Amino acid sequence: MKASGQEVIIVMIEDDEGHARLIEKNIRRAGVHNEIVPFTLGGKALDYVLGESRDGLANRDRYLLVLLDLNLPDMSGIDILQQIKGNEHSHAIPVVVLTTTDDEREIQKCYDLGANVYITKPVDYEGFATAIRNLGLFFSVIQVP
Amino acid sequence: MTSTAAFLRSSLLMLGLGILLLIGIVSYSLWLVQVNREYSDETASLRGVRSAIVGLLATSQDAETGQRGYLLSKDASYLEPYDKAVAQLPARWKALQDTLGPRPDYAVTLDELKLAIDGKMTELSRGVDLTRQGRYDEALTLLSTDAGLRLMDRIREILGGNLERTDDRLSEIVDKQLSAADSLQWVTIGGAIAILVVVGGAILVIFQHVRDLSRTREEVIALNAGLEERVNERTEDLIRANQEIQRFAYIVTHDLRAPLVNIMGFLSELDTSIKAVSTYVMSDERTPTEDEIREARLAVSEDLPEAMGFIRSSTKKMDALINAILKISRDGRRKLQPERIDLKSLIEANAATVHHQLAEQGGEAKIAAGYITSIVSDRFSLEQIFGNLFDNAVKYQMPGRPLKLNVDIRPDGPRRIRIDVRDNGRGIGQQDLERVFELFRRAGEQDQQGEGIGLAHVRSLIRNLGGDVTVESELGKGSTFVLSLPTDLTRVFRSTDQ
Repeated sequence: MKASGQEVIIVMIEDDEGHARLIEKNIRRAGVHNEIVPFTLGGKALDYVLGESRDGLANRDRYLLVLLDLNLPDMSGIDILQQIKGNEHSHAIPVVVLTTTDDEREIQKCYDLGANVYITKPVDYEGFATAIRNLGLFFSVIQVP
Repeated sequence: MTSTAAFLRSSLLMLGLGILLLIGIVSYSLWLVQVNREYSDETASLRGVRSAIVGLLATSQDAETGQRGYLLSKDASYLEPYDKAVAQLPARWKALQDTLGPRPDYAVTLDELKLAIDGKMTELSRGVDLTRQGRYDEALTLLSTDAGLRLMDRIREILGGNLERTDDRLSEIVDKQLSAADSLQWVTIGGAIAILVVVGGAILVIFQHVRDLSRTREEVIALNAGLEERVNERTEDLIRANQEIQRFAYIVTHDLRAPLVNIMGFLSELDTSIKAVSTYVMSDERTPTEDEIREARLAVSEDLPEAMGFIRSSTKKMDALINAILKISRDGRRKLQPERIDLKSLIEANAATVHHQLAEQGGEAKIAAGYITSIVSDRFSLEQIFGNLFDNAVKYQMPGRPLKLNVDIRPDGPRRIRIDVRDNGRGIGQQDLERVFELFRRAGEQDQQGEGIGLAHVRSLIRNLGGDVTVESELGKGSTFVLSLPTDLTRVFRSTDQ
């Protein structure tokens, strides 16, 4: 998976290690072998995505894709989404929201804030695996020639 | 209610008194007028009596004077007054008899008077007859017998007596009339004063009542406004409680679902791994390929233990979550035991449990209180609340800065008390001020152990006590937890029961 000839880095912000592992496994199964940088805390993830000063300048010469869980222990995923989409240097980063709830208002809020894809984590694992694999398809779609 | 009854009673009393007074005055006046009329009638009738007496006396004297003149002058022209008097006499007598007849004290004199007048008239007419016949000497002799004179004196005496009696009676009636007029005057003045007093009293009572009414009306308006405010407050509380329940349900389902996703996912992974293993184990007569052997080994050495580890930890997590929810629910259902508590000493005792940790870093706890620190509430809940808050303050202090804990207790409006728990710890970001009170949610750096239950528990406990907790904070400077409590828990219960 490349963008403008560069490897896309997948930033996975997910506090549940089990979920993180399952997501990773399914992404790999879908045939996506990009680097995955995992974070369990929102603050640390923002430090990486926007830089420690949160200016977003680090994104001028790299391509990220963010997998975002909405419920993190230290801050709300909505806040993270808002900050990424609110910064002129990072607002183009595709953000895939992953969450265990399918509250329609929350989904709408995420889309309003600029989320690109919203995936609920179903208890039914096959559905989940399918969704993640579809994400692999999505990854290939966003590859910029 | 009492005011209206008292007003009704006193105004009815006033009205009754006024009516009685008026009836008294009017009937006394009527009676006095009646009495006066009787006196006037009596006066008129006595004047009739007087004139009848005077008339008879004058007629008798006229008759005598005329007869004497005739006797002396023998001139027939002198007979004219005599004849006239004699002609008038029966009418005069009739008038006297009519007026005196019904009056017993006068009537007794009538017979004697009749006798005297008849005697006198006989004497007079004899004298006239003798003179007419020229028997002058006989006439003079008759005159000189003095019989006529005595009769005349007797007439004068009787009539004079009657006249005097009449005059006495008249002056007596005049006196009575004067005294009746006096009474009427006094009664009228008294009545006027009484009416003024009654009217004044009535005005006073009405004025007081009107004042009471307007005061009551103001109270009702104030109460109404208060009621509206309370209804609004209650509605807000209800809306808030409802939102909290929804939020709670959301959090619980979300957080319970997260480990479930893990369990189902890793069970599926287990399946995949077992397939790899079974391909190898069940290969029977044919030799497994290199790949199959590698996959089976990988499955046994890595995938299977990993999957089981995640399943185990997720199950444990679910159990922990359920226990936490149960704890909050149990504390919420616990029967509160209101008792009189001195807040200051309760907080001091709780602060003492973290004293050691405070002193280690050179920190301190200060507790300031107004003069009201005694409240009626549930001791267990309050101990949990302050215990949690102080533990948090110690846990989330700013590294390298001695912790200063300040507790300030002061009254907060009627029947409420406010407690500020201020620390100089790491603080909470603006966006997380509400989040910290949510179940299983935490804020800021996750460098301390915790499940995100403490403040959710504090909020649920204090709301059960009819209070609330909010937080004001500045990141890096410190936080102030503002607690509000009713001073008497039993009153809150009572108003909730209604």
